[in-house]
Amino acid sequence: MAKFLEYVPGTSFLHRMNPSVKLICAVILAIACFCTTNLAFLALLFVAALALAASCHMMRETVGLCKGVLAFSVILAAVILLTTPRGAQLVPLPWGFIGTGSLLAALTVIIRLMTASIPLFLVFYVTKMSDITNSAVKQLHVPYKYAFTFTSTVHFIPVFMNNMAGIMEAQTARGVEFDGSLVKKVRLMVPLCVPLLVSSVRKTNSAAIAAEVRGFHLRTRDSGFKQYPLAARDYIALAVSVAILVVAIVL
Amino acid sequence: MIQFQDFSFQYREGVAPVLRDITLAIPDGCFCGITGAAGSGKSTLTYAINGIIPHCYPGDFYGSVTVEGLDTVEASLTDLSALVGSVCQDIDSQMVSAVVEDEILYGLENFGVPKEEIPGRVHEALAAMGIIELLNRPIDSLSGGQKQKVALASIIALRPKALVLDEPTAELDPASSEAVFRLLARYARENGTTVVVVEQKIALLSEYADLLVIVDDGQIRFADAPETVLAHSDELLALGVNCPRSTTLVNRLKGAGLYNGPAVRNVAAATDVCREVLAGAGA
Repeated sequence: MAKFLEYVPGTSFLHRMNPSVKLICAVILAIACFCTTNLAFLALLFVAALALAASCHMMRETVGLCKGVLAFSVILAAVILLTTPRGAQLVPLPWGFIGTGSLLAALTVIIRLMTASIPLFLVFYVTKMSDITNSAVKQLHVPYKYAFTFTSTVHFIPVFMNNMAGIMEAQTARGVEFDGSLVKKVRLMVPLCVPLLVSSVRKTNSAAIAAEVRGFHLRTRDSGFKQYPLAARDYIALAVSVAILVVAIVL
Repeated sequence: MIQFQDFSFQYREGVAPVLRDITLAIPDGCFCGITGAAGSGKSTLTYAINGIIPHCYPGDFYGSVTVEGLDTVEASLTDLSALVGSVCQDIDSQMVSAVVEDEILYGLENFGVPKEEIPGRVHEALAAMGIIELLNRPIDSLSGGQKQKVALASIIALRPKALVLDEPTAELDPASSEAVFRLLARYARENGTTVVVVEQKIALLSEYADLLVIVDDGQIRFADAPETVLAHSDELLALGVNCPRSTTLVNRLKGAGLYNGPAVRNVAAATDVCREVLAGAGA
């Protein structure tokens, strides 16, 4: 299983797509998910997203993502259930009721969030960060400084996670027990944020200097060595994504 | 030529100068090793060469430091980085890409190396470090030694006139450390590149360096050929620099009047000296 946001090599359709087009399509699909309230259409999109994940051998990672999103969206769904009295009444509440419409709305939120996140998630796993940066700079005319800042942020997430794990291991070796309730764990972790912050600032500073001494400020839009030509598959993917968006808006 | 002239530096937030009255000339093509106790100012000395001070870490800068005649205060960091390639101590922070090939490409793209020249440069740099097979490997999957070689290759690809390395073997085992130094020395010899390396492992420095610099409390105590510097093993020990035991042994033999040659750099040379002494004692 790939580490968090670590590039997974491959030759799937998604792997071979143009990085910028991949990113645009993922954003269009995410927007489409938020443009429709049709549960059946969202479920269809969810199945299609899972098929896309399977096509690039990312099912395990995608299931992991869905679990994470589910945990978050269940909270939203609970709020909707309790605050949106719609349809035939199922459970009476002192301030209203939970109805069939409430259930559907809650389910729609869960499916929508999971479906919207999968394409973006896949794009970051099947595309090298440097390709996303270079392609965004060359083809989308994103200023290099912003593109580099974004990719560096993503690049450093696993580094900082490893740092935190190291600090926690060191504390465990000194007798701190992180097992137990979430509140206890959070209370024990808060003081560790200071050393993490210090080491993170130091690493970020080192990275900035390392980039500067390798000509960061000389970079222009045409500096990138690799070319990212558009192929037929990119146009097809773009057309399908736009069509899905249109259907989502119409439904 | 890298030239320090009456150079002193105090960091803005510091209470005392980190380096004082440094005058040192590092000739072109020289392999210069810098060592000293922790906090003696070794890293700051290298920051003065690649322009990190005063451009990134400002402070009170006295005297001058020039690289190929370029004053490091007046020149921009970008101009200096075209001359001086730097590898920092924290390799993980230096990596900006997820894959080895992209890491090598990063500097080449920034410096606008002609696109038709780039594949050759990438191959040449990887070959110089003996890691051609790592071209498409994710950087996260590499060992510490491999990452170190990738970092060196990414700098070598830029063909700088000088390489400045801050403790390049800090996280490596003895065999990997030796391998990195061997590759570095061979590359420098073949290309006439000046190498300035800060290193705690004095045995490695004395084996490969042409010029050995000992820094103590912000000042240069010794700057000479390794044989000459290592002859002062007792003084070096007092400065917190532990000479190889083979060197100390031969120096003791010399102190006892049993040997009259230069200090030795390694076990093989010490063995020859011992054999010579024993043969003399037998006769």
